Amino acid sequence: MSGMSEREAAKYPFLQDAVKLVDALNIQIADLSDPIYVKVLDRAAERITEAIVDGVVEAKLEDYMTELVSYPVASMLVSLKGESYLDRRYSLAEAVRIYLLLQKEDRKYLFQIAQKEFNWDIKETLENYDGQNYTFQLYFSDYLHASDAFHEDKWKLVNRILRNGYVLLQQSEAARLIQGEVENQIRTRVSNHVKFQLPDPIKQRLDLIEKVFDENRTKLGAEDLPTEVIREAFPPCIRYCLEGLLSGKRESHMERFALTSFLVNVGMPLESMVDLYVSVTDFDEAMTRYQIEHIAGLRGNKTRYTPPLCDTLRTHGICRNKDEVCERVKHPLNYYRIKVRRLFPGKQTKAPSQNGENPISEKANQE
Amino acid sequence: MDQDWGSPKYVAEQFAIWYKENSNTIPAPTEIRQREFAFLHFGGKAMFRHISFSDEDAFRHYLMENAPAHSYHSSSYYSKPAADMSNKGWRGADLVFDIDADHFNLPCQKQHDKWKCRTCGKEGVGKPPEVCVCGKATFETETWLCEQCLQAAKNETQKLLDILVQDFGMSFKGDLVVNFSGNRGYHVHVRSLKVRGFDQSSRREVVDYILGTGLKPEYLGFTPKGKGGRSILGDEGWRGRAGKAIYDYVSMSTSEEIKALGLGRTLTQSLVERKEEFLNTLESNHPSFVLSRFAGKYEGRIMTDLGILMEKAVKEQAADVDTVVTTDIHRLIRLPNTLHGKTGWQVQTIRPEHFSDYDPLISAIAFKTGVVKIFVKYSPRFRIGSEWYGPYSEERVEIPKAAAIFLLCKKGGIIVE
Repeated sequence: MSGMSEREAAKYPFLQDAVKLVDALNIQIADLSDPIYVKVLDRAAERITEAIVDGVVEAKLEDYMTELVSYPVASMLVSLKGESYLDRRYSLAEAVRIYLLLQKEDRKYLFQIAQKEFNWDIKETLENYDGQNYTFQLYFSDYLHASDAFHEDKWKLVNRILRNGYVLLQQSEAARLIQGEVENQIRTRVSNHVKFQLPDPIKQRLDLIEKVFDENRTKLGAEDLPTEVIREAFPPCIRYCLEGLLSGKRESHMERFALTSFLVNVGMPLESMVDLYVSVTDFDEAMTRYQIEHIAGLRGNKTRYTPPLCDTLRTHGICRNKDEVCERVKHPLNYYRIKVRRLFPGKQTKAPSQNGENPISEKANQE
Repeated sequence: MDQDWGSPKYVAEQFAIWYKENSNTIPAPTEIRQREFAFLHFGGKAMFRHISFSDEDAFRHYLMENAPAHSYHSSSYYSKPAADMSNKGWRGADLVFDIDADHFNLPCQKQHDKWKCRTCGKEGVGKPPEVCVCGKATFETETWLCEQCLQAAKNETQKLLDILVQDFGMSFKGDLVVNFSGNRGYHVHVRSLKVRGFDQSSRREVVDYILGTGLKPEYLGFTPKGKGGRSILGDEGWRGRAGKAIYDYVSMSTSEEIKALGLGRTLTQSLVERKEEFLNTLESNHPSFVLSRFAGKYEGRIMTDLGILMEKAVKEQAADVDTVVTTDIHRLIRLPNTLHGKTGWQVQTIRPEHFSDYDPLISAIAFKTGVVKIFVKYSPRFRIGSEWYGPYSEERVEIPKAAAIFLLCKKGGIIVE
């Protein structure tokens, strides 16, 4: 895709040629204070507020240079903000923008992007199943990488036509997978949270983003959990693990991990957990304490573990007795949040917790 | 004398002799410098971990010198395999599948497996219950294996290999390695570069695929929108597999069994009263016809019901792999072609073209010569090579070394002069 037009680059700023175009301008942070970049800074901040408020960044292609340059600037602002919920929200919103544009492109164009930009092992084909045309075949490892953030049943590998290593795709599905790759790419970039001395014009934009972000916190699912543990709000899988433990059943490693990490995250005091485990099993107290502290992030690599995703619990046979709240969530902690809100509609939630380091929780809150 | 059941000293000596003679035939795992090794020695309780070797000679020398009871290597590749976990530098991992008859529910387990509650002393056969009648869950178990266990493990492995080859396009020319586990199962390693970098979530998708977890009928053509024409029974992948699974399940179930599934009235009635018509539709038409002919006006309900039916039916077609092993990216797995300390058999790489005829009780026997006198506490009937032994109970026997070492490794006997 050499000799790319600037308008094309503004549409798809993630393409390698578009990145080269921006690089060639050699814009430094200090330059951004120059009044000629007011439009760029404004548009960058706008991209982020659109992401927060609407969940999708609009494609404003009239002033294509501003549109193009504001893309890396917006990424920088998001990474400066250092808020993992915003990282997710923003990368998804930019990726959706790309998806909507890609829908209007033809099959050749998609094929080219997939091959050149993402190195996909992809082939063209034409087959019909259930009245639908399948126009591409994608090697399953590329497919799994691109669809990683998708949790709908239709994207599960088991529900795809997989033959000789290749997954059949409809054209719109290929566009959606490219969206997935773009999202991964932006997310990797913005989640590298950096801090450095900023010129005033940038600080002002960050303040603005901060304000919009705070106003929309609930929408982002960034609110915290209540301080006391509310057992009635536990999801069925965790209840199953807890009941199993209470009845003295020998639980699998995965069951114990799911339960313990869940209890740690909903704020059960460590002492109560140690008591619970020791009283109903013949576990050694010191060992039990060690393991719980490990999961709580007080030992070892200091990572506080979040419970596994619903998908993971399903793989290991722990997801059971699903109810209608389960249909809405991908993570047991989100079930808990929703259920708490339902049981106590007035309950105030506090500022967001800052343990966004864990990739599991990152994915879990994915919209 | 209780602690000497199994005569560990004698078995250790025999392992040492075997390793002296055979170490130089044991191939090192691929990319040996990036692998972590781990060993359990006779009489030792702790595992020696974080061991690495610079080359095949060093590796073989270790085996010869130490003659371990159990040997493992990491499925993962590390920059520094000998460092502690947080400093190893993970660089990828083979995709590994573990098929172990231990995890199956087989009728033969009631004949050869026993358990005893350490709290109240209650005993039973087969698998222990989740909780004992005394309210505790402290069990000692004794597990054996028989032809049926081994055959069941082999069948599951064959199903796994079929899925890996047909659906995932893997081949035995490099990608796939099959090993007998040395006990009740098989390990399949996929070494292709394309899967090495998989994170847990990609590995989970592969496991879900193998087990048919999360399969939804609407994506297999059971949709009112689909007008694709042909039946799915001849299709590749899960479309054909699930179609056939439903077909077989329905055709082999009695009316009572179908009623017991707890499906809605419409589908239950169809499956009971119009079974032939249902099967014919599945066999000759696109699955959307199943909906138009049998759903009546309860389309939503029949989708749920088909989902339940499919979940039951696909268990037969899926390969029963251990979900934890495949999704673990730091797994230690038995080192191929070493000895298994709980049987005295060899963990063995099997040539794919020989898999269908493979008989571990012939091929994996390590101690081929000599006769030994042992006192046997208890043993069910078992086969080694083409000879049958036992059952034994509290008796002195003089048997070939292969059979004796098997009983000793199972802690079911003791050497006598």
